[in-house]
Amino acid sequence: MPRVFMALLKRAGGMAVVLALVVTVVFLIVRVTPGDPAAVMLGSDATPEDIAALRARLGLDAPILVQYGRFVLDILRGDLGQSIFLGQPVTTALAARAEPTFFLTLFSILIAVSIALPVGILSAVKRGTLFDQIVVGATMVAASVPSFWLGLILIQTFAVGLGWFPASGYGGPGTPFLERLSHLVLPAVALGIVNSALITRFTRAAMLDVLSEDYVRTARAKGAGPSRVILKHALKNAMIPIITVIGLSVALLVAGAVVTETVFGLPGVGNLVVQAVLRRDYPVIQGTLLVVAAIYVLINFAVDMLYLTVDPRVRT
Amino acid sequence: MKRMLLAAGLAALMAGTSGIALAQTAGGGVLTVATIGEPPSLDVMQTPTDIVLTITQHIFETLYIYDAEWQPQPLLAADMPEISEDGLTYRIPLREGVTFHDGSAFDSADVVASLNRWMEINSKGRQVAEVIETIEADGDNAVVVTLNSRYSPLLATFSQGSPILPSETLGGELTDFIGTGPYRLQERRPDQYTQLVRFEDYVSPEGEPSNYAGRREAIADEIRFVPVPDANTRVEGLIAGQYDYADSLPVSAYERVEAAGNVEPVIFENAGWTSLNMNMAEGPLTDKALRQAVQVALNPSDMMLAAFSDERFFAVDGALFPEGFFWHTQAGVERYGEGDPEAAAALMEEAGYDGTPIRILTSRQYGFHYSTGEVAKAYLEAAGFAVDLQVVDWATLTTRRADKGQWDIFITHSNFPGDPTTLNTITDTYPGWYTSEAKSQAVAAFMNAVTNEERFTAWEGIQSVIYEDAPLVKVGNFNALGGLASGVSGYEPAYWPRFWNVAPRG
Repeated sequence: MPRVFMALLKRAGGMAVVLALVVTVVFLIVRVTPGDPAAVMLGSDATPEDIAALRARLGLDAPILVQYGRFVLDILRGDLGQSIFLGQPVTTALAARAEPTFFLTLFSILIAVSIALPVGILSAVKRGTLFDQIVVGATMVAASVPSFWLGLILIQTFAVGLGWFPASGYGGPGTPFLERLSHLVLPAVALGIVNSALITRFTRAAMLDVLSEDYVRTARAKGAGPSRVILKHALKNAMIPIITVIGLSVALLVAGAVVTETVFGLPGVGNLVVQAVLRRDYPVIQGTLLVVAAIYVLINFAVDMLYLTVDPRVRT
Repeated sequence: MKRMLLAAGLAALMAGTSGIALAQTAGGGVLTVATIGEPPSLDVMQTPTDIVLTITQHIFETLYIYDAEWQPQPLLAADMPEISEDGLTYRIPLREGVTFHDGSAFDSADVVASLNRWMEINSKGRQVAEVIETIEADGDNAVVVTLNSRYSPLLATFSQGSPILPSETLGGELTDFIGTGPYRLQERRPDQYTQLVRFEDYVSPEGEPSNYAGRREAIADEIRFVPVPDANTRVEGLIAGQYDYADSLPVSAYERVEAAGNVEPVIFENAGWTSLNMNMAEGPLTDKALRQAVQVALNPSDMMLAAFSDERFFAVDGALFPEGFFWHTQAGVERYGEGDPEAAAALMEEAGYDGTPIRILTSRQYGFHYSTGEVAKAYLEAAGFAVDLQVVDWATLTTRRADKGQWDIFITHSNFPGDPTTLNTITDTYPGWYTSEAKSQAVAAFMNAVTNEERFTAWEGIQSVIYEDAPLVKVGNFNALGGLASGVSGYEPAYWPRFWNVAPRG
């Protein structure tokens, strides 16, 4: 038990170091990138005097070390700063955008897993058959389809053509929760399909490995039925790489939602980052990337913890 | 298995609710407008950009406002001002019975406080502050503006980005967005929507509607401005019935919108003009003959065709204001032509051009800037210039262009509204740093002019000087494409799309 505790502590320390690095690197990259938030805010007609006046008002004329010091102190106080462009705290801006991104990620992963697990398992079991060949081909195609392109196709077919789902946005004032969710169907399908390809391929490969193991052959020899062999013996042991790839997919989805949210005009975290970069809204870029990095690190941590649960060998 | 069932259930649930979503957006006195993005602020004095003006013009009102010829007409002012004989005192009568959205009465104290704030924080206001001696109340229903020198564009500058707000809201950062306009702010959720609702106690100015002037009626109960930064999504959302109006569509979408059946394309003519602005402070183009060589080397028709691909969306015209505008004149535009490499080469020889590359800054964020830059490069190279085309994003361009040592030409665009003094290049400190004795004299003559005839003649002088000094190359005028849902009535194309006097779909 102490060894597990020490392992946990070591990983938590590693996480803190990664986050400190992210804070510094993001701060520096944002400052080194040319482009001035004041100039962007004031538009193409702004004079240098206007820009200088706004920079001073926003505190952007302070030396870079002073700005870094303020930024780190604010983070330690749990304050991610104030958005230059939106005129609200970064935490408020992020909280307002967490809902669509959270549900988009959740639905996408549910769609991806519900396609990938059965198809991947079947493909492994029916290795070499026509079905398997179709699955292998289809996953290659799906993995290479850009999600924004798929998004536009889905919009044209199901929003414009059939009128089943809204084409974009996240509802107007007072839109009920379930109605807001309807805006997520098409983007979730677009992201889910692209991600299902990766998980399907991993599931298939992991199952193929396990199916050739001695204990599976033994189980079969002892007369266990095909479904019992696959679900009880093979799948349980194939789960570790599958969990890894699902965890990785969730993390990628948080980042991958960027493009999809832009195409579907979803006011989510990904869209916030894209707009913040175009607007050079430094506090939002820094704060959002820090939170996304923290989520990424936490997901990795959670995957590690799942290993400990699923596979006792990892504990030693 | 349970997970899969859950997913299937959620999908079914979501599919079931989507019909409701579309039905509710479709009518009920709401106008949903897809804009190119989120406004950086609703404080239009601080940030007078197009997207901010488009939204806030429904909330705030100014003393004067532009009519169809872009001439100022009374809005919160009751009439045109009484101007003293020396041209230094303007007495502006105010409309009576007007109230703000918070119920307080509009009076001269609000005008004085608002214009004082405008002169502190607005770029145009700061310029005007140099000529304004005082702004004082003359009773509750008039203000007197005293100038220290004549300033003929005064009313034009009071027509844009200088709204009148209740004096009580004006201390420090603007947090309450209260105006006298036909709509009041109900709710703003950044990157999601800005919701305006009808102001029931609105008192409209009189007169037939003419551009932004004249009678205003809030027919729709609500206007919702929805930021949709992706242009294709604006097109698809419009056709799918989600928006009543979609702004700034790509010109390539014209046929698709026209063929859709449930929507119609809306062309707003002369939305703006493209220009190549030259660096007159550092680098090879400080030489006037070389700037003139750039002018004659370029072919505006080819640049505009490359940028807008279809002649319905642009016009090639050297005049700095298009036809139909009060300020339209051909004075001095002789050097605007079809691209003459030989004449350019002669000017380059006269200037002793040494082959130093001309650095052109352009951006892909505005696709037409980039296309213009590519064609310009080809024509300049044909004339014998070495050209270094630098393609950056817009935010980078605005930073670089502020540095005199980093560029020779940058490509930009501007709108036409207002007064000639709103041209950037008139401002000495605008990147390009255009100053000359001839320009100063021409601008001074304009500022001193009183009657419209005198002002027009003075403007002809400014345009001629600009062509002679060549601080920029005007490329051409372009039109903007929007899309309107069938059934929406009363919409008139406008530079800043406006939705009073507009009835939603039934």
